[in-house]
Amino acid sequence: MTDVTNTPVPSGPEKSRGSSLYALDKRTKRRNAAEARFKAYGIAAVCVGLAFLVILLVSIVRNGIPAFTQTFVELPIYLNEEKLDPDGNRDPAAMSKVSTFGYNPLIEDALVQLMADNGIETDMDGPTLRKMLSSSVPAQVRDYTLANPDQVGETVTFRVLASSRVDGYMKGRVQREDLERDKNLDAAHLDIVDQLVDAGAVERTFNWAFITGADASESRPEQAGIGVSMIGSFFMMIVVLVLALPIGVAASIYLEEFAAKNRFTDLIEVNISNLAAVPSIVFGILGLAVFIQFGGLPQSAPLVGGLVLTLMTLPTIIISTRASLKAVPPSIRDAALGVGASKTQAVFHHVLPLAMPGILTGTIIGLAQALGETAPLLLIGMVGYIATNYPEGIVDGFLAPNSAMPAQIYEWAKRADPAYYERAWGGIIVLLLFLMTMNIIAIILRRRFERRW
Amino acid sequence: MNQMPMTSENVTTMPTKNTKITARDVQVYYGDTHAIKDVDVDIEDRTVTAFIGPSGCGKSTFLRCLNRMNDTIDICRVEGAIKIDNEDIYDKKVDPVQLRAKVGMVFQKPNPFPKSIYDNIAYGPRIHGLAKSKADLDEIVEKSLRRGAIWDEVKDRLHAPGTGLSGGQQQRLCIARAVATEPEVLLMDEPCSALDPIATDQVEDLIDELRSQYSVVIVTHSMQQAARVSQKTAFFHLGNLVEYGETDQIFTNPKDPRTESYISGRIG
Ligand SMILES: Nc1ncnc2c1ncn2[C@@H]1O[C@H](COP(=O)(O)OP(=O)(O)O)[C@@H](O)[C@H]1O
Ligand SMILES: [Mg+2]
Repeated sequence: MTDVTNTPVPSGPEKSRGSSLYALDKRTKRRNAAEARFKAYGIAAVCVGLAFLVILLVSIVRNGIPAFTQTFVELPIYLNEEKLDPDGNRDPAAMSKVSTFGYNPLIEDALVQLMADNGIETDMDGPTLRKMLSSSVPAQVRDYTLANPDQVGETVTFRVLASSRVDGYMKGRVQREDLERDKNLDAAHLDIVDQLVDAGAVERTFNWAFITGADASESRPEQAGIGVSMIGSFFMMIVVLVLALPIGVAASIYLEEFAAKNRFTDLIEVNISNLAAVPSIVFGILGLAVFIQFGGLPQSAPLVGGLVLTLMTLPTIIISTRASLKAVPPSIRDAALGVGASKTQAVFHHVLPLAMPGILTGTIIGLAQALGETAPLLLIGMVGYIATNYPEGIVDGFLAPNSAMPAQIYEWAKRADPAYYERAWGGIIVLLLFLMTMNIIAIILRRRFERRW
Repeated sequence: MNQMPMTSENVTTMPTKNTKITARDVQVYYGDTHAIKDVDVDIEDRTVTAFIGPSGCGKSTFLRCLNRMNDTIDICRVEGAIKIDNEDIYDKKVDPVQLRAKVGMVFQKPNPFPKSIYDNIAYGPRIHGLAKSKADLDEIVEKSLRRGAIWDEVKDRLHAPGTGLSGGQQQRLCIARAVATEPEVLLMDEPCSALDPIATDQVEDLIDELRSQYSVVIVTHSMQQAARVSQKTAFFHLGNLVEYGETDQIFTNPKDPRTESYISGRIG
């Protein structure tokens, strides 16, 4: 202190004296230019990112939206008693002897009648006309008849699915020239469709069945829905949430707040970070070996999928939880310990609530990743499984074979029919809506728990 | 300040004081660093004791030995004997949690919990089970806030966040929080270094009042502050307790040349 006062104050460079503040010197100009350049780079980068995002969203919406609508035909069908219940006593066992094929003639007759009623002139016979309808129609009519035996002998108006070609024509995906070499449909059918649309018997409406329905066979894209695989994803997410959140948070709290910092914990830390970078397919084969081959759990079960995704999500949750615990100022811990709180009390009363927004965000991001993950499901048999049935209960939900949303999307994209390609895009919209919802929940929770200090 | 530093005559006229804390042959190591060397000191009850010394000399380290806050640092090792009321606080039977209720601490940076003013004060009594009813707790909160000389400023907004107060108010809130657990010793580590002069003044006044009930140990880098608030001063240098005595004597007539150089501004 005393020494400093004795040394002379070094005087600044002489030339800077007397220079005007209005005139920018060279150095300042160069610095300003560099700053402007950097800003321009930044704006350009943001714009490029936004452009990609817009392209992505536009193409997803354009390709996917049609999947949410479907073409239906209003078809009055005469439920012919002679064919459906020759004995006339409405015995369910006897009625169910009539297979779906037995219903085809009724439908064909109904179509011929529909042409006549609407004054459409055509030389097509019933079976040819039936090509306009989905091959799921006989089953639909049969199910209805078996459920309502009293309607036999009446004419019932059904709302039935049009075939995927007709649907494609209504959506502009299929043109007349496309049908030249198509054995499923002729251009002449489309003329009929045009007339039926004018008559109000054919219309394209919103299709809940796409969201709630099950997957269908390769030849019936018009019937396929993402609902059952959504249930599969739902049960997997339950497993992930119930296992990964408590295990991950407990592990992070222990490592961050209690464990001694030594070689061993360093090793654990490095390994957790490494796990986060392990390709997800590795977790898939691990799940196959451990849970299915060794543990004897059923193949394609959401429980196994959930376990595999738990392994995959744990590192994400641990890393984000530890980061948010680290971000809590040490002064809060001191304050709690200083008034005589035990370490556990300090952590649970003060540190954890402050870290909660970060933990929740990390968890939800982990869940979102898991929700979109396909590769590990490949190895445990959830990809390619045709999910046609809803699970019968909670236990079944975990254990019965099922698919998952991304697996279902992949499956659809793989199929040859362009109608399935459209459904794959539609499935992506559903998946993205789920992810967006999760992110919004994350933001809301973060807002709610956020405290300032 | 309503109370100027004590003169030696003043001290002798006061009733004889009990020794609250005795430290003998205390060594503290951070890994291989020997941070506190051979410290012997007797700290009196109902007295403000100031620890002064150049930064890095071990004042905080020694202060944190007194409520075992150093336990939270993995590499820290404490040797020697520290007794409060003749009980060895490093004894195996002693739970640091109980010790810290008896030896309150106020930190350099005001660190209220991000909770309401009321909850800040009530937290300690709650975890130690000091209040049997809500009314009890209300009373403890009011009493503590009064002792912290901040009651009048916050009584209308007890449920507003403690972090919304000004720096000086926050520090007095922290002092109130520390006294809420009925401690006998109050440790303060540079409690005014983050405060402006007016807030510093208020906190110093408060420290002077607290002397009537507690043994207060305050670390400060300001010699003026030590002179203003303390009756006893300990000068630390490079981990050694160089000189310990009446504040007056340390500042007017230091025995050790190192103390003299520090006080006259040659080291530090
Ligand atoms: N947590 C710690 N880990 C390692 N060394 C520390 C730690 N805290 C303090 N020290 C060292 O102990 C010595 C005394 O520090 P401290 O007690 O904080 O000094 P003061 O409070 O007097 O400025 C310093 O050399 C410092 O580097
Ligand atoms: Mg210090």
